[in-house]
Amino acid sequence: MTSTVSGAGIAVAPIDFTDRTLPNGLRVLLVEDHRVPSVAINVGYRVGGKDDPPGRSGFAHLFEHLMFKGTKNTRPETIDRLTEDIGGLNNAFTAEDITNYYEVVPSNYLETLLWAEGDRLGSLAVTEEHFHTERDVVIGEYDQRILAEPYGMLDELVNREAFAVHPYRRGVIGDPENLRAATLDDVVAFHRTFYRPDNAVLVVVGDFDPVQANAWVDKYFGRVAKPDAPIPRVTAVEPPQTAERTFTYRAANVPLPAIEYAYHIPEWGHPDAPALDIVETLLGMGKSSRLYQSLVYLQRVATAAHASADLREQPGLFSFRAIASTGTPLERVREALDAEIARLRDELPAAAEMVRVRTQIASSFVRSRQTYNNIALALVRSAIERDDPGALNSDLDRYRAVTAADVQRVARQYLARENRTTIEYLPL
Amino acid sequence: MTQPITTLEKPPSPGAPHRAELPLPVERTLANGLRVIAFPQRGAPKAYAVPIIAAQLIVRGGASAESEAEAGLATLTTSLITQGTATRSAVEIAQAVDGLGARLDAASGYDASTVSITALTHVFPDAFALFDEVVRQPSFPQAEVERVRAKAIGDLALSYSSPSALARFVAQRVAFASAPYGHPVAGTAETLAALDRDRIVAFHGRFFRPDNATLIIGGDCAPEDAFALAEKQFGGWRAPSEPLPEPVLFTVPPPRSRVVIVDKPDAGRTALLVGRVGISRRAKTYAAGVVATAVLSGYSGRLNQEVRVKRGLSYGAGAQLIARREPGLFLASTLVDHTKVEEAVTVVLDTLRGLAATPPEASELVTRKATISGGFSRSIETIDGIAGMLGELALYGMPLTDLGEYVPEIEAIDPAMVQQFAAAAFEELFIVLVGDAQVFGAAIAAAYPNTSIIPLAELDLGQPTAVKVPG
Repeated sequence: MTSTVSGAGIAVAPIDFTDRTLPNGLRVLLVEDHRVPSVAINVGYRVGGKDDPPGRSGFAHLFEHLMFKGTKNTRPETIDRLTEDIGGLNNAFTAEDITNYYEVVPSNYLETLLWAEGDRLGSLAVTEEHFHTERDVVIGEYDQRILAEPYGMLDELVNREAFAVHPYRRGVIGDPENLRAATLDDVVAFHRTFYRPDNAVLVVVGDFDPVQANAWVDKYFGRVAKPDAPIPRVTAVEPPQTAERTFTYRAANVPLPAIEYAYHIPEWGHPDAPALDIVETLLGMGKSSRLYQSLVYLQRVATAAHASADLREQPGLFSFRAIASTGTPLERVREALDAEIARLRDELPAAAEMVRVRTQIASSFVRSRQTYNNIALALVRSAIERDDPGALNSDLDRYRAVTAADVQRVARQYLARENRTTIEYLPL
Repeated sequence: MTQPITTLEKPPSPGAPHRAELPLPVERTLANGLRVIAFPQRGAPKAYAVPIIAAQLIVRGGASAESEAEAGLATLTTSLITQGTATRSAVEIAQAVDGLGARLDAASGYDASTVSITALTHVFPDAFALFDEVVRQPSFPQAEVERVRAKAIGDLALSYSSPSALARFVAQRVAFASAPYGHPVAGTAETLAALDRDRIVAFHGRFFRPDNATLIIGGDCAPEDAFALAEKQFGGWRAPSEPLPEPVLFTVPPPRSRVVIVDKPDAGRTALLVGRVGISRRAKTYAAGVVATAVLSGYSGRLNQEVRVKRGLSYGAGAQLIARREPGLFLASTLVDHTKVEEAVTVVLDTLRGLAATPPEASELVTRKATISGGFSRSIETIDGIAGMLGELALYGMPLTDLGEYVPEIEAIDPAMVQQFAAAAFEELFIVLVGDAQVFGAAIAAAYPNTSIIPLAELDLGQPTAVKVPG
């Protein structure tokens, strides 16, 4: 019987993982689990939108696409063939701080996929032609997700206006002009700079024999050399904001006016992070949450109202977004939001509400542990974004330790008017 | 820089496959006729135990039991089931669900209506009591009826704005006309507006009864405990004296090839569907149909290869086999530029006919079957996934042991069986196009004799012809 971690009266088995670092610096986390005969493989790199080279906004994301375009040993789309054709799947994503590649395949193909991931860490051989095609695909993605989607541009605007100095202001999807200026030389340099074993975390979860898996990891990843050059890191520090900043934007594809508040908050590894997650849940999770009950259900001033503690490797944002209901002036939505923020600062949440929120957090935490790939992703993110994969196993305890007074304290400290960037987003 | 001469490495070969350990469902029928199926979490060595229990009640009775005038009734009823009971308001239900950290959902399809709850083990008995309350004692408050109806009408407007979603609604009508699978599950703005509370109460009373339902409980719970919970909570549920509603049996109209264009000038691209009435879930050819559909679908499936990879006509193309109690639909779909419609129609038709004419290579079948068994493995990773598959077997009166037969049955399909399925299924295909007909309508009408063009303003999915009736 393994020991259990508990939170809100819930006993949850810890994720039992091994953690080692190869001589070349690659961190390797393995979770053995035999419920289903498959394995999830995640390779996370400590590089994201904030690390884009100067004048190359969006480059980390473009680069992610190029990682599917061939190596010195393989043709483009080899990873797709090695996964889809055997009933598996693969994909990748780029966020502010991380680029993560993953595969879920039948467990007897583990060695094949470890080879393939080690191969694309070790070499990349993109042709000029593939580079151009893929750059067009990424610019097409910008058109589809940012320009064509309702409110698609709003996330970009929030980052751009809320951060004055920190490169988080450039977002992840970047700027099509910057991408058009990128060259194949940039690609080679980027791979050399960031795609190195000491800048990566490999996680495997599922049905494998650890002795065999470790030997394969040594064989296919251990041979990749660790470069001597230091890895460039973002050192910019966002200065404290001292007065509210307000912006009004008008855009096509805005079905109803929206308002966004963004407040600076500390990084994910900070002791206040669990309390900020609790505030997010209390305000925004489920039909009984404060924003839904007040703005959407009772007052009917908004069709949707969200709160989000966007905790990152470096200080991030706590944001509110509300979309006005038909015919409601945005000013009324703003008043309703302000009232909810004032309530958080002025009143202690009731004990029953704290219990509900802790239970909601614990439940979604446990629910997300059902699939191998979710477990792998949680380990990768925790390893890269807060430098501590094991923190996952004490998260529930940390949530349980958050008191009503902590909620009020972080609300007063961070959800302050002078710390806020406000964007009104209106139809043309 | 000169490239050193290197020997290319080949990917290592796979080891021997490991067998999936399938959950073992057990069942019992309560005295009131409620069928209960339980499946425990698998206790594999080194398995990460998830303290979650899920329950699902499947009621035989969905949109195919509605009349044309009542389109949307089943969906409206299930949407409202969580919005008030004899003792709790909608807000109180939401608070109770969130307070337990549970998830409570309800939805209807053509053949069935389903209510489901998932919660952590230690609170599951409380969540299950709440689940029982909404299933058996919904109060359908008038104010919630109005609110949910208004939202449903608003959601319809949103889905009509998408060419792909609209094309699917139209395809149901083209395939089934006035048969019970013809009208939209979500109803239309007109039928929804006409539904009153009495009909909702009657629909619930007619179908939500123990002898017309299956209850599935799975996850972190031994079968004996699941049966005890089911007995404690639902044992006192009495079936009404009225006879059990008979499943609606019907014949579908014979397929005939025709083209229906919905002219939507503001559509960004044209949604293209090629389809036909397909097969029932119990059909002997189901496994062959699933494999044939897999040959056509996915990134390396034939449709995507022909439409996207070779010709760049679209971002993607694929096919779907929707099998129900009665024959459902086969659909091939893509989304193309208005100027590329004629070419895309030809390519899709040729691709389907190619499979009907020539058996696929055995090697092609190996990879396409792998996509099916891989998808199956991923579905059984979650408790909800297993419950969903068992629910489908129970609904269609199939043995629960079929869960273990599925992958072997797929493996047993050979190239000739795929071709035979395609040859029978891809005759008399219909085509539905939703897009700017100004651009392609005339060319399509010239190439395909049986073509009709419906301006968007004339479209009425409440009619078997999908066209507004004057007056």
